[in-house]
Amino acid sequence: MNEVEKIREELKKSGAERIVAFVKKENEPREVLAVLSQKDIDKVTFSPLSVNNPAKLLMQLNGKVAVVAKGCDAMAIRQLIKEGKLKRENLFIVGISCRGVIDYRKLSKIEKLSEIREVRLEGEEVVLKMRNGEKRIPFAEVIEENCLYCEHPTPVIYDVLIGEAREGRKDFSDLEKLEKMSREERWEYWISQFERCIRCHACRSVCPLCYCEECIVDPSNLAISPMSTAEDKASYPRLLGKTVNAKDNAIYHIIRVLHHAGRCSGCGECERACPMELPLRKLERKLEKVVKEVFGYDLNEDIPFFSKLDMLGD
Amino acid sequence: MKIVVFACNWCSYAGADLAGVSRLKYPEDVKIIRVMCSGMVNPAWILRAFRQGADGVVIAGCHPGDCHYMVGNYYAKKRYILLKELLNFIGFEDERLKLLWASASEGKKFAEEMAAFKNVVENLGEQEKLRWKE
Repeated sequence: MNEVEKIREELKKSGAERIVAFVKKENEPREVLAVLSQKDIDKVTFSPLSVNNPAKLLMQLNGKVAVVAKGCDAMAIRQLIKEGKLKRENLFIVGISCRGVIDYRKLSKIEKLSEIREVRLEGEEVVLKMRNGEKRIPFAEVIEENCLYCEHPTPVIYDVLIGEAREGRKDFSDLEKLEKMSREERWEYWISQFERCIRCHACRSVCPLCYCEECIVDPSNLAISPMSTAEDKASYPRLLGKTVNAKDNAIYHIIRVLHHAGRCSGCGECERACPMELPLRKLERKLEKVVKEVFGYDLNEDIPFFSKLDMLGD
Repeated sequence: MKIVVFACNWCSYAGADLAGVSRLKYPEDVKIIRVMCSGMVNPAWILRAFRQGADGVVIAGCHPGDCHYMVGNYYAKKRYILLKELLNFIGFEDERLKLLWASASEGKKFAEEMAAFKNVVENLGEQEKLRWKE
């Protein structure tokens, strides 16, 4: 029995009304998340291109839900349970021990996505089933960079686990290069990155932990009526400039990342969603490091990071 | 130089008041904003201050354990450390940000710390990195 069949069987056994799992896109090797019922269980697939994080979708569903979760997805789900956004008893988690996912941007540079029919992993190689014949490429060439430093490849919570438990990496060697730079070099690097940001707020919209209904980046949380004068509108409190300016962008990203300190699940959705391909995960990783090394907080603790106050002494 | 101080109503603001009442001198660049607790200082306010041209920002609150709201200053310290590390990581001078514990009776300490902080900021020069420029 292969991985996909196992997943289908476990989902069937769970007896949940709704299933959140990956289904194939038409004419593409990629997969998207869908909410299914028991009768469309045969549509469920799974491959190294099943990248998205289902945690965000779960918050919109009521009743018993079965979900397919990789290591990082389980981290996000657990965090949302910690914060009271999801109920553990409503979830049936089919955990998948993940080897890492394929970065479709890297893959599309090697082969045209519309030519590929199917993708599967065999040992250290990715087998691409093409329209005509097969092609093999090393997995290391197309693996998402984020997955190389994954700390929890095995789900931290699950009802059934598919595959064998794996060890994650616990070091922060991906930050070394930036940390060795001088301050001015770092500023040059980051401002040149933030300059490219178009403030589409996709990184916020896609993040499973950015669930606030009112967000600091939205233009105004106060009502504007046809009666409000320009002066009224101008004097509304606003912390963040509306312009697409490198400095405003920097402030936006700092604020966004600060809200994820000690919470980030490391799924890398922000980087994947970013149309300008900014290295957003680096900022999150830096805070992960601070949370771990300065505060000594472990993400596996039951109490959320921001509620834990006894960690600093004076 | 422009230095913005977010001073908590219960300790630091009273401390700054004491410094004034006792006629202690501290730099005139210091602009104090009274907040109810250092724990309510949103990191976005600090960044906004830098954006608007502040050269230094101080968060001043009660000593740990003395907070009027029990734990507000612990939140302040946590946010402060995270913001400082992140600012340093993107290459902003993190010395421009300071956390100060000053109680209502420490007028002298408040004045001295402000003078010392002004020195630090002056050595760094004007803050250009986040300031609004046409």
